[in-house]
Amino acid sequence: MATVIAVVEDDPDQRDNYVDVLTAHGYEVRAYADKPSAEAGFTRELPDLALLDIMLGEDMDGGFDLCMELRKLSPTLPVIFLTARNSDADRISSQRMTAWDYITKPVSLEFLVARVHALLRISEQLQQRSPESSAFSVGDLELNENSMMVQWQGQPVSLTLTEFWIIESLTRNPGHVKSYQTLSDVTRQGLVERNTINGYIRRIRNKFRELDSTFDRIQTVHGTGYKWERDRE
Amino acid sequence: MGRKALRKSTKRVDQKKRRAPSGIRPGLKIRTKLLLLVVSLLAIPWMGYESVREMERFLLEGQEQALELTTQGISSLLGNRSDLFDPGVGVPEVIGRTSRPLPTEIEQSLSIDAVASGWVSAIGELTHFTGFGQFECGAGYQPDSLAVRHGVAIDPEQFFAYFEIDDDTVIFRDPDLVSLNNSDQLRMTVQASSGAISRYLLTTTEPGRVSIYLMRDNWREAISGDNVREVAGVLDLTERGYVIKVRIPRTLLGVGARLKFEIVDVDDVGSRTVEQVISTEPDPIDLGIGRVRLATPELTKLIQPLYLSEANITIWDQGYRLRAQVGSIFPPAREGFDLKREKFAWFFLNVETGITRFYEWILRSPARGFKDMPVESTREDYRLLGQVLTEGEPKTERRRYGDAKLIVTAAPIWAEGSIDGAVLIKQSGNKLLSLQYRTLQRFTLLFLGVFLFLAVAILVFSTRLTYRVGRLQRETEQAATPEGRLLKDQIRPGARSSDELGSLTRSISGLLHNLGQYTRYLEKLPDTLAHELHNPLNVVNSSLENLQYHHRELADDKHLQRARNGIGRLRSIITSLTEAASLKEALGHEQEERFDLAALIDGCVEGYQAVNPKHRIVSTRVAGPMIIDGVPDRLAQMLDKLMDNAVQFGADQGLIVVSLRRNPDGIELTVANDGPTLPVEIVDRLFDPMVSRARDARKTHLGLGLYIVRLVAEFHNGTVVARNRAGNHGVEVVVTLPAARAPTR
Repeated sequence: MATVIAVVEDDPDQRDNYVDVLTAHGYEVRAYADKPSAEAGFTRELPDLALLDIMLGEDMDGGFDLCMELRKLSPTLPVIFLTARNSDADRISSQRMTAWDYITKPVSLEFLVARVHALLRISEQLQQRSPESSAFSVGDLELNENSMMVQWQGQPVSLTLTEFWIIESLTRNPGHVKSYQTLSDVTRQGLVERNTINGYIRRIRNKFRELDSTFDRIQTVHGTGYKWERDRE
Repeated sequence: MGRKALRKSTKRVDQKKRRAPSGIRPGLKIRTKLLLLVVSLLAIPWMGYESVREMERFLLEGQEQALELTTQGISSLLGNRSDLFDPGVGVPEVIGRTSRPLPTEIEQSLSIDAVASGWVSAIGELTHFTGFGQFECGAGYQPDSLAVRHGVAIDPEQFFAYFEIDDDTVIFRDPDLVSLNNSDQLRMTVQASSGAISRYLLTTTEPGRVSIYLMRDNWREAISGDNVREVAGVLDLTERGYVIKVRIPRTLLGVGARLKFEIVDVDDVGSRTVEQVISTEPDPIDLGIGRVRLATPELTKLIQPLYLSEANITIWDQGYRLRAQVGSIFPPAREGFDLKREKFAWFFLNVETGITRFYEWILRSPARGFKDMPVESTREDYRLLGQVLTEGEPKTERRRYGDAKLIVTAAPIWAEGSIDGAVLIKQSGNKLLSLQYRTLQRFTLLFLGVFLFLAVAILVFSTRLTYRVGRLQRETEQAATPEGRLLKDQIRPGARSSDELGSLTRSISGLLHNLGQYTRYLEKLPDTLAHELHNPLNVVNSSLENLQYHHRELADDKHLQRARNGIGRLRSIITSLTEAASLKEALGHEQEERFDLAALIDGCVEGYQAVNPKHRIVSTRVAGPMIIDGVPDRLAQMLDKLMDNAVQFGADQGLIVVSLRRNPDGIELTVANDGPTLPVEIVDRLFDPMVSRARDARKTHLGLGLYIVRLVAEFHNGTVVARNRAGNHGVEVVVTLPAARAPTR
C-alpha cells in the first residue's frame, strides 16, 4: 500500500503543485481545500503524513485545529505546517501541537519532498520501536538520527525536524564553528537569512533550558555562526 | 559635494528649523491678555467718576433753579411792601460778623438791678468773645486774664446789653485821675443811621451803678463831665470777674443804629495801662458808612419760614443796607465757624482710618470745601446786588472758593414800578459735594470689591485655562516623538470637560487615535504585504520547480534561471519587509544578558571582511572588553545592517571603519565609510522605515536597514545619528549604547 499524504491548502494552485510533486515522487496524495472536508477525510482514512496550511480561507487557525484532530486520531502522526506566517507565536503554537516541522512559504518543493521522506522514515523507525544504532552522544547529549530523538542528560528534548538537523550539524564536530551558510544548507529551506538561523538557535536553546537552566553548550561566534562547545573535562 | 556646498546645505537645515518660531507673531500669553482685560475694567470707575461729576453738574443746576425760584418767590412775596423797606423801620444792631444773630426780642422789660442770671435767661445764648486769632488782642493774650460773654436783647422801648467778663484783676476807676482810659471799662460806639458816631464810656469806682460819659474819639477825655442819664448800667463783681448790664432807650439809638462794644482790661494798679481790648467788631475800619445793616425784625419774621439748609437768605434795600437775613451757608455743626472747632475737625479727619485717607487722596473731601468757604463775601455780594438793583433782572452766579462752591442768586423786589430792594440767597454747593463724596465713596468701595473679585476670578480662570492649554500642549507633544512617531494614541486628561477646550482635547485625541490606527496600519503593512505576497510567490516557485522536475532538460534554461533569480529577489524583499515588523514584535520577548560588545564586534568584522572582498573593513577600538547589557543577536543584526549600509553606499575599494570607544554617555559604536555624503532632504528621516537614499535598480532598497538599527539601538536605550564625516568624504553612523551599570561578575 502506497504511503498516503494529506495536503490541506486553500489555494488551488499551490495545492495542485504540492499534489503534483508528491504524486511524481510516488506518494498517494489526498488534497483538501478546507477544514470540514479535511476532517471528513481524516476520519475516513488516516494519512501517514499531513501537510497543513495554518490559515484556511477565513479560518485563521484552521491548520492548528486540524492538527489537534489528527493528534486525537494518532499521537505519532508526522505533521508539517506550511505557512506564509513567520511569527514566533505561530511557531510556539505549532510546537505545542507537537507538529514535527514548520516550513514558511515559499517552499522549495525539492526540500519539501526531502522533509517528507525524512519524516516518514523517522515515523517508521518510531513505529518499529527498534531504533537502529545510529545514535551517538556528545557529553550529556544523546542523539538518534533515525528516530529524530534527542536526549539531554537523559531527558528527551522535543525538537522539530529543522531544529534536529541544526543540532545534528552542530554536534557532528563539537568545537568546530558552523557558519551561517552551513547551517542554512542544513535547514533545507533554500535561502535562509542569518536572522532565521538566529531564531532557530534561540528556540533550540530555550528548549534545552527548559530542561536545564544552565545549558550553554551552543556558543555564538559573532558574525560567523555557532558552535557546540566540547565538554570541559 | 564640496565643503562649501555642505556648509550651504547645513545652513538651509538651520533655516528650516528656525522657520517655525519666526512665523509666530509676537504677542501676549492668555493670562496676560485676560489680566489686561481686567485692567480695562478700570474704565468703569472713570465712567463712574464722570457720571458722578455729570450728576453733580445736573444737581447743581437743579439747585440753582430751585434757588432762583425761591429767590423770585421771596421777591414777589416782598413785592409792594414798601413799608418793610421804610428807612424808619429797624432795630439797633450790634455790629460784628454777618453771622451774628440779631438782638433777642423780649416781651418784658429787664430791670437794670435784676440778678445776672435773670438777664441771661431772657437773652438766651451768649456769644463768646475770645482773643484767639482775631484782631482783639496781642500775642500776650491769656484766656484766664480776659474773656467776654455777651448778649443783647430788645423790647419795644429799650435795648439791653449784657456782658460777663472773666478778669483775674478788676481795676476800678481812680477818681483822682483826670484821664478816663486807665481802668477796666466798657466802651460803646453808636453809629446812627445818619452816620453820626457817638462814643460812650461806662466806668465806675466801685461795684454798682456805673458812670456813663460821652467821650472824644481818643477815649481819654469826656466831651462833658455830665453823666449820660438816658443810659443806665450796673456792674456786679463775680467769682471770675464781673458782670455789666446796660440799658439804652431805643430813642437814643434811633432806627438802624449800629453798636460796637469794647471791653478794656487793665490789670496793673500801678501803671494802669490798657492790657487787652476785646471788641464785638474787631476790625476798626469796618465801622464806616455804606455797610449799614438796617435790621427789620418783621422782614426777618417774614422770611424766617423760608429757611434753607446751608443757605443764607438776605434782604437788601435800595441803599445797600441789609434788612434781614436767615440761615448760614455753613452746615449747622459748623455754624459760627469757630476756629478751634475747625482745628478739631481736621485733627479728627487726620486720625480717621486709612480708607478715609485713601478717599481723601482720590476724592475731594467736602471738609476741604468747608474750610475754603469764605466767611465774608460782601464785595461780590455788593457787585451782584448792584447789577440786580440797577438792571432789575434776576441774576444767578456760581462762585468757587478753592474747593468750596457757592451758588448765589439775587432778584429785585418790585414795588409799583420801582425797585424797593433785592433778595440775595447764597447756598453752599458743598451739600452736593458731600453727597457726591458719599456716592463716590460707596461706588469706590463697590468697584474695588467687584474689581478684586473679577481680577481674582479671571486670574483663577486664566490660570486654570493656561494650565489646561499647557497640559493639552504637553500631552500632544508627548504623544509623538520629535521625529513624528506616535507614542500614544489618545489624550485622557481634560478630555471629559464639556467646554471647547475639552472638545479640542477630544478632537486631538480622536486625531491621534486615527493617526495611531493609520500608523499601526502602516507598520503592519509590510508584514501584511509580505504575507499576501508569500502565497502567489509560492505558486510561482512551486510551479517552476514542478516544471523543472517534469522537464529536466530545462534545468539550465536561461529564462528559468532568470525566473529563479527574480523569485530570489522577491523573497529577499519580502524577508526585509517582515524583518522589521517581526523584530519589533520579537524585541518584546528578548532577555538581556551581560556580554562583551568588543568581542562581538571583532567576530562580526572578521566575518564581514570575508563576505565583502570589495571593501577594506577595519576595526579600531581601545583595548579591553566593553561590557554591556543587551541582546547579542540583535546587536549583531544591527551591526549587519550598519555594514550593509556602509557596503552599499561606500565607494568601491573604499575603507569601512568600525570603531568602538567609550564616551561619557556610554559606548560609542561608529561605522564610517568613504563615499558620497548624505542627501540633505532625508537626513532627518534616515532612520524612519521606507526611507532610502539608494536608487540602484539591481538591489532592493526598502529603507528598513537603518530603521532596524534604530529599533535595536532604542531597545538598548541607545541613540543613533548619521552624519557626514569630517572633510565630507563619506558618512558615519554613530550608535551610542549605555555601558553596563553594575560591576561585571
